[in-house]
Amino acid sequence: MENEVTAEDKNETYVVLPAYNEATRIQPVLESIAEKGYNMVIVNDGSTDNTLDVILESKRKYPNQIHVFSLMINRGVGVATQTGFDAVLNFNPKYVVSMDSDGQHSADDLDNVIRPLVVGEAQAVIGVRPLEDMPRSRNYANSIMNFLTKIFYRVDVSDSQTGFRAITRDALDKITINATGYLISSEFIREIHDNEISFAEVPIETIYTPETQAKGTNTTAAIKILIQMIKHQF
Amino acid sequence: MLLYSLIFPIISIIAIVWFIFRYLNGKNSAVSTVLWALFWIVVSIFSLFPELSNNFARLVGITRGLDFIIILVFIVLFYTVLRLYFIIDKLQNDLNTVVKQVAIQNEITLDDEEE
Repeated sequence: MENEVTAEDKNETYVVLPAYNEATRIQPVLESIAEKGYNMVIVNDGSTDNTLDVILESKRKYPNQIHVFSLMINRGVGVATQTGFDAVLNFNPKYVVSMDSDGQHSADDLDNVIRPLVVGEAQAVIGVRPLEDMPRSRNYANSIMNFLTKIFYRVDVSDSQTGFRAITRDALDKITINATGYLISSEFIREIHDNEISFAEVPIETIYTPETQAKGTNTTAAIKILIQMIKHQF
Repeated sequence: MLLYSLIFPIISIIAIVWFIFRYLNGKNSAVSTVLWALFWIVVSIFSLFPELSNNFARLVGITRGLDFIIILVFIVLFYTVLRLYFIIDKLQNDLNTVVKQVAIQNEITLDDEEE
């Protein structure tokens, strides 16, 4: 099929995974991505548990597909993702994906997320979580963040806080990410919009567990993001 | 002479000398040394001649001299907090850059773990 993502496309795709204290969850995530034939750049964000050991265990199984970098202290998901985006350039990728390492995203969605890039429909993609599947508190926070992204960054998207996103190498070179925390999601969308990069939304599956809900954009994080958005206006 | 008329000028002199030493050691800029010296001179003047604050207060439309001093202190504190905020923000950014660069230049290999 013409729209099929080929093994060569997958080989030219690098998945960036920031990881902070994910020792109990990250291994199935890494191995499912490796099984699909994708390469990975994993950034250990100064974890205080044995996340790094677990990552290296997976690297032993897939030594050529897994590349590991480690921040010596915890600096937040934004800095870890920035590190991944910078480090991935060493491997000369054609497509770069970033996704969460806590198991809330499914590796089965990778093909769907990069397909618009492969067929040339778009240069950037965000994976959109169905709002009806979200727990109420998350749904509420997410709606507020979508609204704030529209107000402050003038971009209307269905899911501004998704951590599942894909971009071509050329488009990645055009954007600048400065956010250190969860603001990165909105900032990515703003950069795509401001640099006139063609973009698409792709529905993705989201697996919510008590652990995955403990992280991500909750109401407290939403307030912090709002403060940062106001600060970025100046 | 009231007690504060004695204490504040002494504190001011110590503060000014301390800022001058910091400037000579390259820890303060000339501008911030001058600004802080001016601040402590003003504190000394008001503590030695408190009635002067009434004249300054009337000058800016405030009725009581004490209110004028309180507002002045708030402005100085606000400026100090704002400066500290920008300094911390810059330090955070510098730290992020260093931490990122160190990580990127040191990809972790399986050999590293075995060593």
